[in-house]
This record gives sequence, structure tokens and C-alpha cells, in this order.
Amino acid sequence: MSQRIVIDPVTRIEGHAKISVYVDNAGNVSGAEFHVVEFRGFEKFCEGRPYTEMPGITPRICGICPVSHLLASAKAGDAIMAVSIPVAADKLRRLMNLGQLVQSHALSFFHLSAPDFLLGWDSPPASRNVFGLIASHVDLARAGIRLRQFGQEIIEVLGGRKVHPAWAVPGGVRSALTKEGAEKIRAWLPEAYATTRTALDLFQKVLETHQHEVQLYGNFPSLFMGLVAPDGGWEHHGGKLRFIDSSGSIIADQVAPADYLKVIGEAVQDSSYLKSPYYVPLGPVDGLYRVGPLARLNVCTHMGVTQADAELRNFKALSPGAVTSSFLYHYARLIEILASLEWIERYLDDADLYGSHLRADAGINSLHGVGASEAPRGTLFHDYTVDRNGLLQKVNLIVATGQNNLAMNRTVAQIARHFARGPEITEPMLNRIEHGIRCYDPCLSCSTHAAGKMALHVRMIAPDGRVLHEMKRD
Amino acid sequence: MNTPYPSEDGDLLVIGYGNTLRQDDRAGPLVAGTIESYALPGVRTLVCAQLSPEHAEAVARAREVVLVDAMSGSVRATNLQRIAPAASPQVTTHAVEPPTLLALARDVYGRVPPVWLLTVPAEKLGFGTDISETTRHGVEVAVGKIVKLAHRKSLKPVEV
Repeated sequence: MSQRIVIDPVTRIEGHAKISVYVDNAGNVSGAEFHVVEFRGFEKFCEGRPYTEMPGITPRICGICPVSHLLASAKAGDAIMAVSIPVAADKLRRLMNLGQLVQSHALSFFHLSAPDFLLGWDSPPASRNVFGLIASHVDLARAGIRLRQFGQEIIEVLGGRKVHPAWAVPGGVRSALTKEGAEKIRAWLPEAYATTRTALDLFQKVLETHQHEVQLYGNFPSLFMGLVAPDGGWEHHGGKLRFIDSSGSIIADQVAPADYLKVIGEAVQDSSYLKSPYYVPLGPVDGLYRVGPLARLNVCTHMGVTQADAELRNFKALSPGAVTSSFLYHYARLIEILASLEWIERYLDDADLYGSHLRADAGINSLHGVGASEAPRGTLFHDYTVDRNGLLQKVNLIVATGQNNLAMNRTVAQIARHFARGPEITEPMLNRIEHGIRCYDPCLSCSTHAAGKMALHVRMIAPDGRVLHEMKRD
Repeated sequence: MNTPYPSEDGDLLVIGYGNTLRQDDRAGPLVAGTIESYALPGVRTLVCAQLSPEHAEAVARAREVVLVDAMSGSVRATNLQRIAPAASPQVTTHAVEPPTLLALARDVYGRVPPVWLLTVPAEKLGFGTDISETTRHGVEVAVGKIVKLAHRKSLKPVEV
């Protein structure tokens, strides 16, 4: 008898979703889907508003990565003004983005993912979370919380608040980094480095004991996309787009973010409100690409800082071409934390960071502007079209999680195909499928701009359409 | 394993959270912002989009805590209730639920003060900055409840 196995909700990701696993009459997995049931509508809400308000509005899409939207929005405003912002402003924005990467990656690794591979897929659900981690690895758990706090502290030092800092604006930033703020960040760095190094050493041990997961959790050929510097170096805030294939070959390079529509199309799925971007020249099926830490490390040639470059070499040595296992997103996140710390330290010693010229002054010089920035989960695009008064006529937001949508579908199917056996559903099997999704650290609130919790509905459906089992949660 | 937190700061901490662009969901920040404007002695406020793990430290340090949030559904009245830490571990996300936050304060910082959850009824959760009359009235009631709490004798905290 065919069955549809539903995992709803997926725990430990942002927003709400359900997973459907389709099993045929022979008991084999015939397919799987990752559904997003939330509603997207932020773009329409913004129409008619001045583009200058967008850095204040768009961070409120999500409480997880507001800085990413703040910076991409400000960059879109820069493009409408047709300005190059002052050097100090650019480096200050970069500093804030690095803080964002640290805090988001730290939470993803320590709270959302580490409980699985440190405590085991078969550990009881009640302990397979951060509290179980606290009990068994108490120092690591506390250090992980502190590492996230460090990233948040950078954001607050610069923007005045940790969430929704109204600081980056079209043309630059509102305020400088104070000497006290710089010293506060600098004083915290040694602890942050130590925690990151501990986590990296720990993950090397995880790699030794989790080769099965490396092979099966979202390990398939795909394209990868991210921003790169002119010399191919790791980028998190500037640069241009690069696509590579799974052999590591560059198939598109130095594409200006303003031209993103030449390379990125969006397909609509019947079963989800989440759109599915794809690489245009190859179409919606073959054009599947991944973004985020795994992609950024794949597309770049170097991180530009010593310790992270050494780790990048270790990372790239895992595969002759691109590193294709989504399980290794966790490793990539840790390397990006390390790179972020090294770049933070470098910026603190950079005299340019303390320049007094923080804003370029201009009117509306273009009726269209695109801002792209690397959010923790991947490349984020803010695309604004305005009238001559600067009022928004059209807004298009492409968020990181949406770009990983097709890859998440394929990951779920791959894991389910391997671990599902007939009608028996075990907790460890379900958790492996969920973990496949968590490798991407998706933010569904960003992808669909949800208000908050929504009612959940779980159904087991027989081949003839009968509801075998049903659960609701308000 | 649990090291008691070095010192209590002696304040009543009011944390108002919610999305300020989702109409009635801004109830929590509105309440906290109003309390802040009163500058009551011994009262601190914190406004955020959602509760996060790093709020556990502030919770553990406070004399008493009020978490303020909008709540949609059939409940139409502002409600204040004492809440306890999660008895067994809860799953966590980038945002945490109140009992989870208390459990984090307990397990990582060794202390949980008396914590209240103050919910304000919400009707509209679309995009926008306007709020419903129900929520507007609920915010006023919530502010009044917090002012009363600020003036009453503090309860004994729970040391772990």
C-alpha cells in the first residue's frame, strides 16, 4: 500500500514547513517534497513607499537575519542614487555583516545542528537538543552561546541595537565605530577564536565518524553560486556573481548583481509558496544551484586570511571538484566563522574604518537599483524600481533559502530513499530527514515573510485519498 | 555543573517582543516602549523581534521578569500568568519560546527569577503599523498590570 509519510513541523528551523515522503506499493520511496505553507507578500506591501524607508522596513521581514536585509536594501538605494559610498562606510557595513555571519552560524551549529551529530541520531528526542548538549558538553554549549553573543555585540556596537538596527542607509551609514566599541570587540576576539577552534577540532572528529552522512545527506551534483572578489576571493558583501558546476569549473563569472535576471529565473511549485530559483541557461531542472556557506567556499579560491585559508584548503581537499555533500554545510559555517573573526580583527586595525566621511549625498539618478549581499544562508537580492519621486513601483526580493529550495527537495528525497523501509517509521529516520533540511539552515520566515506561528496540520493519506491519521496544532 | 550567576541586578525586567510591521504583533514592543517612557525606578526594558538564547543571561540576572507578547486566537483579554521553565528540554530555533528561555537561564546560568507571561489579544496580523482597538485597549491594560507589579514586593527567586 502506498503511503505518504508527513513530518510536520520540521523542528529547529525557522518558520514552518512540512515534509511529505511518498512511498509506492512496493514500499520504496518514490519521491519527497519540502512544503512551505507560509505566505509571501512583503513586496506588495512596500509598493508606494519611498525607497529611503526600505532599510528600515525590510529588516522587519525577519528577526533572524535583519542585518542582511538592511545591507542589501541600502545597497539597492546606493544604486538608485548611483553613488559609490565612502570607504569608511563600506568597511563599516562589512564589519556589521561579519558580525551577522558569526552570530547566525554560531546558533545554527551549536543549537540547531550539533545536538544531532554529537548526541546521536538515535538519542531520545527529549535530549537531542541544546539542553542535552549542555548536559554532556556543557563547556561547548556555553561557549557557543557566548560566540553568538559576540556576533550580536558587533551589530549592537555599530547599529545601536541587536535587532533591526536603523544604521545603514542609501549612500552610507549613520554613525561611526567608537573607540570604546572597537576595544570591546577586540577584547572578545580571543575567546571567540578559542571557541571556533574547539568547534573545528570537534567537527574533524565528527567527519571521521559520520562518513555515512557525508555520502547521503544531500550529496549530489549541482551548480553553486556566490559573490566573489575580482580575484576570485571569498566575498560576503561586495563583488560579483560566480557560478560553478560540480566539477569545480566556472560556468559564469563576474556577473554584476544588477544583471542577476540574466542568470537567475524563478519557478513556481504547486505544493509550496516558496519560489524556486534556477540558473537560466540550463533551465529549471538542470539549473538547480545551491547558495550559502558550502557554495561560497566552493566558488572562491581563497578566504584572504591565514587561518581560514588553511581550513579552506582542508575543505577543498575533501573532493577533486566542488564539495557536494550538504552535510558539509556545517563545516563550511565553521570556516566562515573563523574567516569572519580574522577579517574583523583586520578591519579593527584598518585606519580606513575610522574615517569621518560616512555618507555620499545624491538624489535619484536611476529608476532601478539592485543590492546584493551574502546573508548567512546565501546570496540575497533586493531589486527596487522607483518613479522620479523615489516611490517604489516594484520590489523583488530573492532570499537565500528560496534559492536552496530545489536542493532541499532533492536532499529530502535522497535521505528518505536510503532510510525509509516499508511502513515502519522510526524516530531516528525522521530526524535524519529533518537534519537534511537543517544542513541548509533555512529561514522560512525570510522566504515567505511570515508573521509568526501558524496552525499546523499533519495528515497520513492512503493511496485512495483516505485520511489515515490526522493531527492539528494551533 | 551549574555555576550560580555572580549577582542579581535587582531590577524588574520587561521584555516586549514582536514584529512591529505586522499590525497587532507590535503589542509587546508597544508595551515595553510605554513602560520605558515612564522611567520607573528599578524597572528595565528590552524590546526585540523575538526571544533568543542570549536573553537568558538578562533573565537570570533580573529580580523579576515580564515577557510581553501579542496572542491571536479566541482569547480577547489581556492575561498575566506566572510561567515555569520547561521541565524537559525543548527543541530550539533561532527564536525560543518562553519556557525554553527560562530553562536556558536555569541550565546555563543557574538561576530563574519569577517570570510572568503577559499576553495582549491580537486580531490583525497583516502588514502594517496600525493596530486594532482590541489590541490598543489590551496594551493599556498590560501597561497598568506592569506598573502594579513594579510597585509590589518582589517574590523570592528560584536558585538552582
